[in-house]
Amino acid sequence: MRRAFDFRMTTLSLAAVCLVGMAACGTSPNTGGGGGTLTIQGDAGNPTLVENFNPFAGSQLHGTFLIYEPLQIPSPVDGSYTSFLATGSKFTDPKTLVYTIRQGVKWSDGKDFTPADVVFTFNLLKKNAALDTKGVWQQITGVSASGNDVTINFSAANVPFALSIAQTPIVPQHLWSSMADPAKDPNTHPVGTGPFMLDSFAPTQYSLKKNSSYWQADKVAPSEVLFPAQASNQSTNQLDVVSGKFDWSYNFLPDVKTTFVNRDPAHNQYWFPPGGTIGLYLNLTKAPYSDVNFRKGLSMSLNRTTIATKAVNGYLDQASMSGLILPNLKKWLDPSLPNQGLVAQDPSGAQAAFAQAGYTMQGGKLVGRNGKQATMTIVMPGNFSDWVAAAKEVVQEVAAVGIAATLDLPQYAQYSQGIQAGTFDAAIGGYGGSGDPYTDFSLALSSTFAAPVNTPSANNFERFKDPAVDQALTTLASATDSSAQTQATYALEQEMYNKVPIVLMYYGGSWGLFSTAHFTGWPSASNPYTLPTNYNNSLLTVVTHITKK
Amino acid sequence: MRYVGRKAALFVITLWGAITLNFLLPRLMPGSPVDAALGKLASSGVVITNAQRQAVEIQLGVPHGSLVSQYGQYLNSIVHLNFGSSYSFPSETVAQTIGKAAPWTLALIGVTTIVAFIIGTLLGVYAGWRRGKTADTTVTLGATFFAAFPPFWLGLLLLFVFAFKYSVFPIKGGYSPGATPGLSPSFLADAVYHSIIPAVTLAVTTLSGWVFGMRNNMINTLGEDYVTFAEANGLRTRTVALLYAARNALLPNVTAFGLSLGAVVGGSVLVEGVFSYPGLGNLLYIAVSNHDFPLMQALFLVITVSMLVAIFIVDLIYVRLDPRVRQA
Repeated sequence: MRRAFDFRMTTLSLAAVCLVGMAACGTSPNTGGGGGTLTIQGDAGNPTLVENFNPFAGSQLHGTFLIYEPLQIPSPVDGSYTSFLATGSKFTDPKTLVYTIRQGVKWSDGKDFTPADVVFTFNLLKKNAALDTKGVWQQITGVSASGNDVTINFSAANVPFALSIAQTPIVPQHLWSSMADPAKDPNTHPVGTGPFMLDSFAPTQYSLKKNSSYWQADKVAPSEVLFPAQASNQSTNQLDVVSGKFDWSYNFLPDVKTTFVNRDPAHNQYWFPPGGTIGLYLNLTKAPYSDVNFRKGLSMSLNRTTIATKAVNGYLDQASMSGLILPNLKKWLDPSLPNQGLVAQDPSGAQAAFAQAGYTMQGGKLVGRNGKQATMTIVMPGNFSDWVAAAKEVVQEVAAVGIAATLDLPQYAQYSQGIQAGTFDAAIGGYGGSGDPYTDFSLALSSTFAAPVNTPSANNFERFKDPAVDQALTTLASATDSSAQTQATYALEQEMYNKVPIVLMYYGGSWGLFSTAHFTGWPSASNPYTLPTNYNNSLLTVVTHITKK
Repeated sequence: MRYVGRKAALFVITLWGAITLNFLLPRLMPGSPVDAALGKLASSGVVITNAQRQAVEIQLGVPHGSLVSQYGQYLNSIVHLNFGSSYSFPSETVAQTIGKAAPWTLALIGVTTIVAFIIGTLLGVYAGWRRGKTADTTVTLGATFFAAFPPFWLGLLLLFVFAFKYSVFPIKGGYSPGATPGLSPSFLADAVYHSIIPAVTLAVTTLSGWVFGMRNNMINTLGEDYVTFAEANGLRTRTVALLYAARNALLPNVTAFGLSLGAVVGGSVLVEGVFSYPGLGNLLYIAVSNHDFPLMQALFLVITVSMLVAIFIVDLIYVRLDPRVRQA
């Protein structure tokens, strides 16, 4: 529905993985006093909102992100950290992570926040596996406090996993220790350390009021935040958005200059940065997709710019085959990759690669050594309209090189079963978007996820296995200095570019729509301190950045 | 009495069949509730991880038992009318969820169905009586015109013109954001205001069916000897039209009316969807798209039972309306 790929807004968005934060972009000047109401296009009401402020629930209301704070927020744009409940962090060795906890912070009920609350929160995830959506306890073995420090012990070196640790919302021990079932509790009287507190809840709108004792209250301009429920259908939401009811909304809009900006040119702004990558996944356990030359031929057959135009109105462009989202992660880009890893359509190059895989053009058909035409069934959820648009273009483009491709458009649940079991031919899927190259590459390419066919795996479902990739991932996981990190990341980019485990096609957008009528300082191309997603940690980052007009 | 007894037995057997289908059909859908929940995450741009999958599996507590044991639990829950809590709204019981949505659907769709039936039937009587005249042509053409509108499309159109372009009516919802449902006059006024476009949409698009049905029945009935006889006897036009022709022509429409009253409970998924109306149709859509077995089962049960009850009542009313049935 939201961030990257999808134009509809059919469902309430569960807690998005909160890989969101500030870039090192300098703090915006603050007027201090502030005040005023910030109206955010809120959660989807289905048909009405369900009161749930449990920060681990998955179905919590988005306002929860302004009530509880994590230790740090890594920017989903480039992975750089902004401090919240921790003032700093360092790896004393690749298996030991130490956070320095901020002092002088109070819970909104007046009690002191202490490092013991942090330890309690992580142990809560251990006791309630249902709350551990990031699999923290699959990576760590213990957590302990000493003075102002909290130490996390890893079972194996995994420096990049700090990203998930840092974003865990911290809850108060004095209230949560007596909760009967923290996994199911809707937490309707939330007490957090964040800039806002719950003010009122009604089935179609809830409001938060400013926490005046917030530790950086001077950086919070609004005195109140309103979250009116969204409609469950996309066209109504689009009408709501363009009629100017929100300071911050998140919606795909066709022809956004005419439909949105021109309705109030003095105030309406949009920013649609890349938030993820959409790729053509091939089942690497099946011939001919298991042949790297066939995959290269396929990659060169595609005109990615046309695909991006069809899929996302040209708001975003073709994706780099480096596996990095550009320009967000450009500081990690291997300069030796030709043309930043952008692969151009090259029919003769494609034919040459197909020939190496044993496929030649015969009478308009790409025929293999067995005398049969190459075929491909591409599966994707039928209601992800931009994926479908992209896939239709792919079918036409591969038809031009003689491959007979067809589309399979089931519901998401069936799609998900098929790709996880590894029974598909080809599938459209999302890649990356965490803001951290290790996380992106590891989830997509690590052989630890490459389960046998019919054993489900949500990650690396194309089932790529390559010792060089595993080696680079292991190196990156334990690297704490930047030159070692850079070299390992370059190696992963080269693997992605040369072995084509996924045919990356175009960037999915993050559809931020803003009004400067009441507040300014929204994230933008010139100040990309976070992605404009209004349903995850970006809420906290943005609310501590904007200033009253 | 034998007639009533036979109908009652049929009712019970049909009910059991329907209940069993309600159990089986949702489980025949490909994919699981966990996949559906992850699908929502995926569509928001999140790359799904195995850790997330495990956490969601535990959170939802999806049943792992065999189909037979699940069926046993299901029958047990029906007998005790205790459906537990749903996957979509875990903090309340299924009965509470349905209870909150039901009044909206019953009021909106129930009232529009009754209004559309009355107006449509009267127009049908009128058009049938004046068959071939200008009045008939106007009514029939008008009804054909509106019958061609898909309800959700007319809804979108009205929404765009009256809610967006001219801002006369609200764009979405059953009541204003921030209001708490209750029975205060101001809330009721707010709710009525929000229901106007959806009601007009439903009434206009369903009216035509009643008009056609009634008009055609009227024309058939008017050809009967007893109508000619009544006319020949010099009875007043209105008496012949309403008491002799319309009363007999009404019978098939009563059956259809009973069925559509039964269908009210299912709501109108598309229209409620267009207007984000907090009713049962919308709830059904959510239940299906979330693979929410507990909610789906309870909703389908409510829908089938109300349909069957409606049919049963129509059967009983027939005994009163049509003496020929009593002999059968």
